[in-house]
Amino acid sequence: MLAPLLAQVSPQDISLEIERIHRNWEFMWRGLIAAWVVLAVYVLLMVSRQRKLKKEIERLRVMIHKEAR
Amino acid sequence: MRDKIIYALVIASAALLFRDISHIANLPGERMQGDAFKIIFFHVPVAFTALAACGVSLIASILFLITRKFLFDAVAVSVIEVGLAFLAANLITGSIWGRVIWGIWWTWDARLTSALICWVLYASYLMLRRSIDDPTQRATFAAVFAIFCFIDVPIVIFSIKWWRTQHPQPVFWGEGSFPSDWAPFFWFNVLAMLLMGAALTLLRLRDEESQREIESLRRQAHAF
Repeated sequence: MLAPLLAQVSPQDISLEIERIHRNWEFMWRGLIAAWVVLAVYVLLMVSRQRKLKKEIERLRVMIHKEAR
Repeated sequence: MRDKIIYALVIASAALLFRDISHIANLPGERMQGDAFKIIFFHVPVAFTALAACGVSLIASILFLITRKFLFDAVAVSVIEVGLAFLAANLITGSIWGRVIWGIWWTWDARLTSALICWVLYASYLMLRRSIDDPTQRATFAAVFAIFCFIDVPIVIFSIKWWRTQHPQPVFWGEGSFPSDWAPFFWFNVLAMLLMGAALTLLRLRDEESQREIESLRRQAHAF
């Protein structure tokens, strides 16, 4: 039943279809990786900000301690 | 205690996502779109999380205006910043999907434009906060602005119903369809992203507490 249909398919059609499948697969991974990269960058920024804030708190505590003495 | 909650949320979220990713990769491609369709498994859950964050910020802002408790202000700013990261992920994954399916990275369609405006509005909220020094004034102005920003959220959600858009119709509450055996992976990914969002919000809340401690220490230092 599929034979007449398959007879109409040229080798070029097959290569185009393989290319399309490959492209879709590649873009799916790009999408998934992009989502993770955005979230990972945000987490790194947050961790770096937390470190800066801790250092600032420590610096202010030392300063207040010195002033109090 | 909070650290334990954060670890539990991250572990639960990561476990769900790792479990799902292998199943999703092995699912057959969609009839018309092929594998690119599978971007929906991340694109929509991050959108859910971003819009849920907007909803939480609305509630926290209203509660701040009623009670004047700074905890609600801290929750609002934390959840908005996390929501912005998720909305950015949503816009970028959508753009990648658009490139392969529509052949273009971006179009000024109602859904895409309203989502971009939503991102810009909430980014403005963070900028507004930076421009005000007095904590009470900052929290009050920010709460009012967060309530104003939320006006765009229903527009983002219903834009695909109200206007004829290039963006596809919703798959779960509109004319679109979704294979029933694929749905559990989708909903588990939604849950995983919501858990991840909650964990990041708790982490961000810690930053806000540190910031308040710095402001208090600076006042003490000035007093000397």
